[in-house]
Amino acid sequence: MLKKQTMKKQSLLSKAANPKYIMVYATIGIFLIIYLFGAVAYGSKGFTTLRTFVNMFIDNAYYGISAVGMTMVLITGGIDLSVGAVASLTGMFIAYGNTVLGLHPLVCILAAMVVGVGLGLLMGATIHYLNVPPFITTLTGMFLARGVCSLISRESINISHPMMDALAQWKVYFMHLKDGEWVKIKPICFINFNLLLFLIMIVVGIVLLQKTRFGRNVYAIGGNEQSAKLMGLPVAKTKILVYGFNGFCSVLAGVAYALYVKSGWNLALQGGELEVITCAVIGGTLLTGGVGYMIGTLFGVLLKSIIPALITFNGNLLSWWGKIATGALLLLFICIQRIVVTYTGKRKAKK
Amino acid sequence: MKKKKFSLSDLMRSKITWAVIAELLILLVCFIIRPEFFSISYQPTTGMLYGSLIDILNRSAEITIIAMGMTLVIALGGTDLSVGALVAVSGAIALKFLRWDVSAYPTPGDYTIYPFVLVLLVPLAVCTLMGLFNGVMIANVGMQPIIATLILMVAGRGVAQILTNGKQFTTLYTPFRFIGQGSLFCLPMPIVISAIVVAAVALFTRKTAFGTMVESVGINPSASRLSGINAKAVILIVFALTGLLSGIAGLIYSSRIMSNDSNNAGLNYEMDAILAVVIGGTNMSGGKFSLAGTVIGSIIIRTIVTFVYYFGIVSEATMAFKALIIAVVIVLQSEPAREWFAKRAKNRQDRMSAAVKGDA
Repeated sequence: MLKKQTMKKQSLLSKAANPKYIMVYATIGIFLIIYLFGAVAYGSKGFTTLRTFVNMFIDNAYYGISAVGMTMVLITGGIDLSVGAVASLTGMFIAYGNTVLGLHPLVCILAAMVVGVGLGLLMGATIHYLNVPPFITTLTGMFLARGVCSLISRESINISHPMMDALAQWKVYFMHLKDGEWVKIKPICFINFNLLLFLIMIVVGIVLLQKTRFGRNVYAIGGNEQSAKLMGLPVAKTKILVYGFNGFCSVLAGVAYALYVKSGWNLALQGGELEVITCAVIGGTLLTGGVGYMIGTLFGVLLKSIIPALITFNGNLLSWWGKIATGALLLLFICIQRIVVTYTGKRKAKK
Repeated sequence: MKKKKFSLSDLMRSKITWAVIAELLILLVCFIIRPEFFSISYQPTTGMLYGSLIDILNRSAEITIIAMGMTLVIALGGTDLSVGALVAVSGAIALKFLRWDVSAYPTPGDYTIYPFVLVLLVPLAVCTLMGLFNGVMIANVGMQPIIATLILMVAGRGVAQILTNGKQFTTLYTPFRFIGQGSLFCLPMPIVISAIVVAAVALFTRKTAFGTMVESVGINPSASRLSGINAKAVILIVFALTGLLSGIAGLIYSSRIMSNDSNNAGLNYEMDAILAVVIGGTNMSGGKFSLAGTVIGSIIIRTIVTFVYYFGIVSEATMAFKALIIAVVIVLQSEPAREWFAKRAKNRQDRMSAAVKGDA
């Protein structure tokens, strides 16, 4: 039933717009359908409030920030499994540097930035120059980051620094005009630093991908690396920079996560890399490379976070159903991708 | 048939050589630091051999077993991310059949609710079916292997949790304990099981045409289809086999801890198995595979872990050591590096033959 509706939606929309956006429309469509379902079923419990909607963003902002970099890596046809470990390492740097060594958090973040981006660039260089598959290279990177994390400390370390507290508590409340006075809307809902960072990164991602030469190169490499090379595009530079940018995003995600949980832990965000990849894939990015949009990833993050929200609102289901539902969602999406790819392929052949 | 001449450059170009050298180097370091690392003792009460070397083989059993299937999957040009989740599913089903509804018998003991045959066969059957599901998604629907198996990787642990209602069951059933903690011919059972699995997979792939079929599908699916190989069937069999092997590994794992642990059972096994295959010299892009190399790869991984435990380094830090050693092996195995070594070896040979000619 769900699938049928989206298919219909797709065929209508594909006429209205360029067919290459179909996957993004599918993501948005499925999100709307699930949201409508939630609104009908749990509307009385407050599912439709602005607060629920914004919280879906806030609770997954760190995944979203990382997904921006991941989308770019996936578009080049690569994959990066090290993001969760690098984010965890960032949290560890901040926690250990600040609480144990007494350094300023900004210094720690800067150090993490150097390490994270450096590791990304190194992995990119290994992938390009040594021709090692991205999967293996970044897996090694993940082991390395996770191991260093554990070498620093096995215990979870608290973060308490005035600057970090201020950042974590920084909020912009949604207001509305009531009797000539600005008051917080009820139920209270706000934008925090993580959400702001996520939205900024999405915008940065859109600009990088759509408006710069670098972005065009990324798509070209994903489409066909050999042709990109023959066209004289800077394949090596672009590929290495993409992994470096992904490292940068992972570090930012780590900062966001540290602000969210206010601690550093060596096993934090274990398996996070696959959550991030899932976000990008249900956002319409093809793992074969060449296709993907940041807007899709934005809705992918939303789509992934609406399932736990629905389960919470239901109240009777075990949270494990969330995993199964995410698996089912992935399955649905990949099937749609297959159908779209074969359909557009056939249409091209007819022409 | 012409007998193959032994040549150093061939040996240097072989990927397994580097894996073996790496393993020997690690063992050498162990030996230098602590000679007793190599001592093996016999315990008459349990009838088992003990020692670090035995322990390495014993603990590497699960990864070795899974990596056998993973070798074939990678030879097809794919990857299977779902193996770790299947390990959890297998353990959960086994414990479910051992304890069923805990309310009737709340205390764990030396009993099983369902016959032991079911305890063994149902998990294996379910895991095989799940592997087959992966295969169908790849062969018939045409998905990429990473994505198709990502589905079960995400959903599998959820299934395992729901089967046991999110609870951890424990058991004291003796025959079940035998799988992971018993011994046969003085050797721990996991070693025996993994040896049987390795032998079976080796016979199945090398004594029948199946291994060649896998390689040919991995190199060029359409060409092998045109030459009469049923590529779909090959893919289905390989993924179902990997599912079955994950199921076996799951039984060993849960028998070791005598309970199901859906959160941690098989965690990161997919990564370890893929690494074992790659260290063993099988190329990620598919084609020729080496089962012997995979076994060595799996042993290398476990040697590193044991090494780290033995010298009292924080257990989670093993990952950093793993990463360093794997990085070295991968760089040495990478195409440019191997070409460089081969060129150097050839240059030296040329120079030597030139010198010999000059003398004559």
